[in-house]
Amino acid sequence: MTIRVSGICKRFGSFVALDRVDLEIRTGELLALLGPSGSGKTTLLRILGGLERPDQGSLTFFGEAALGLTPRDRQVGFVFQHYSLFRHMTVFNNVAFGLDVLARKDRPSRAAITEKVTELLRMVQLEPLADRYPSQLSGGQRQRVALARALAIEPRVLLLDEPFGALDAKVRKELRRWLRRLHDEMHITSVFVTHDQEEALELADRVVVMNRGRIEQVGIPSQVYNDPASPFVYDFLGNVNRFDCVIEAGVARIAGLEMAFPAVGMTAGPAVAFFRPHDIELTRLEAFAKEEAVSAEGASRAQVRHIYAIGPSARIELDCAGHSVEVVMDQDRLRGLGVNGGDWCGVKLGRGRLFRAGVVAATSIDQR
Amino acid sequence: MSGDNIYAGVSGAVAARRLGWGWFANAQGVARRVWARTTARDQGGMIIRYSVLPGFGLTLGLTLSWLGLIVLLPLAGLVIHAADLGWSGFWDVVTTPRVMAAFRVSVTTALAAALVNLVFGLLVAWVLVRYRFAGQKLVDALVDLPFALPTAVAGIALSALYSAHGWIGSVLTPLGINVAFTPLGIVVALTFIGLPFVVRTVEPVLQELPPEEEEAAISLGASRLQTFLRVILPALTPALLTGFALAFARGLGEYGSVIFIAGNMPEVSEIVPLLIIIKLEQFDYHGATAIGALMLLLSFVLLFVINLLQAWMRARHAH
Repeated sequence: MTIRVSGICKRFGSFVALDRVDLEIRTGELLALLGPSGSGKTTLLRILGGLERPDQGSLTFFGEAALGLTPRDRQVGFVFQHYSLFRHMTVFNNVAFGLDVLARKDRPSRAAITEKVTELLRMVQLEPLADRYPSQLSGGQRQRVALARALAIEPRVLLLDEPFGALDAKVRKELRRWLRRLHDEMHITSVFVTHDQEEALELADRVVVMNRGRIEQVGIPSQVYNDPASPFVYDFLGNVNRFDCVIEAGVARIAGLEMAFPAVGMTAGPAVAFFRPHDIELTRLEAFAKEEAVSAEGASRAQVRHIYAIGPSARIELDCAGHSVEVVMDQDRLRGLGVNGGDWCGVKLGRGRLFRAGVVAATSIDQR
Repeated sequence: MSGDNIYAGVSGAVAARRLGWGWFANAQGVARRVWARTTARDQGGMIIRYSVLPGFGLTLGLTLSWLGLIVLLPLAGLVIHAADLGWSGFWDVVTTPRVMAAFRVSVTTALAAALVNLVFGLLVAWVLVRYRFAGQKLVDALVDLPFALPTAVAGIALSALYSAHGWIGSVLTPLGINVAFTPLGIVVALTFIGLPFVVRTVEPVLQELPPEEEEAAISLGASRLQTFLRVILPALTPALLTGFALAFARGLGEYGSVIFIAGNMPEVSEIVPLLIIIKLEQFDYHGATAIGALMLLLSFVLLFVINLLQAWMRARHAH
């Protein structure tokens, strides 16, 4: 175990940034702190880095109490969201900074520093730009300098705050893969903060989903995606169709729709059902074309509002008795169905999950 | 647009010729020719930029005329007047021991005061930007007081305070430190006058300085001193330099607050502006203009050096 966070609380005035957070970070893993803005993810990262002090709770690094340690003694490398390079220093001096400020007895020789910085710049593919100033670099290059600068002090833990937040989509994707490769080579325990679920799921070994200062779920990407522990995680991770339901006598009914599914063992009351767009099926039924039936053969009547057909899969937006429903399917299958914008068709809810509102209770739905 | 400019230029030149300032009309002619060349380039299709607020010609013409009238005309008059003395006459005036001593006093005291302001101005700016405290607005207003206060009032207040019977003077005099009526008094007065220059130039730059850079330095293991010296100070240097230059230039020319506290002993605590007044009172107009011309030269050299330094720093930091 590298880092153990227990019972950490942090308030800013009346705003609760972190509310009794417990987390264990394993040696060598790449962990993502995922959540919307204001969920406390950056505050948690800053507490790990020693830039912020929690009001309560404890923190251990490699078994050692860390709250009393300065950032220097914690040996963490911190990469800031807006890079925060030293503007008046060249790329080389930026990277060398952490070594230059070491006490004389610990400081490597000038030649050793030069060699180390050159090696780091080669690693981040910026060796030819060593004499440039940060203002002369692109966003992606600045981010790589920031990373090299943080790695120069040979940190035990690397902390990255929204590392790709300020970059355009293409550079972000490249840099993401590059960081993953780098991590696979160096195996340095790393924690990064992001609000982009795709980034977290693609890059991280484990994902911590945060909301309102609390951890909602911790797990490997496929786990949090396929088995979300709470309505929030479902909502936050990827596109999802959300239906308000009412549970009565072990059956959940979607309000305003002629659709129901079993809710065994759940108490009566309001609930929410979630279905991923690819878990909803589209059918072409004659009955619906004639605008007679509201539901037939387990499907509900819906009208196609729009079809976004770019790439191998198509995204179809439907109007189902006032509910907006999103469906994703293969282009080929859509063509086979012959459904176009404005057509009436049937919607069949497949696999999903039902959460009883206000209570920690959930059940899986499978009607395939 | 071109018509506007030519008219503005011509009218300025005509006015200048009527006043007998041929060189001024000539300068306008040069400016017009330079401008005409840029226009030709525009028409050649190399640089065509749409301007939201048109009127480059008119505004440039007005600017040049205005600067000529307000700045160049009096200065040129000064130089020309001093030139009447001839080179040897000029040299005789400015190399007298009294004049040399006055220059030494003026430059050293202004330099010392500007250095003091550099340190304490930075401190004040730092406190005003980085902390929130009760009475902050009041402190902020106090900084501007030396700007607003008539300098003579400041001078009288300071000399009352620092004279042997004043509040501070009565404490310092027994210790053997005489402030009033010595060059030290001049430094005190100039420090008072120059403070807002440093504070007000450093403040906005400090506000723009992202705190993350300091956090980055701390997380890389820098101590507080290292963070200040290596990260904060270099970012502030251009602003500090400007503030220092402004305070120094102001100190060189300051008259009102200094004469009350300086004692004005020739060759000891007599400043150049006072010497000019003395020459004028003795109807030695040529002597006064000669000293004035030397001061003008000194100011130009200073401005030039400061600009050079700033250009060098800008190139180095490549902002």
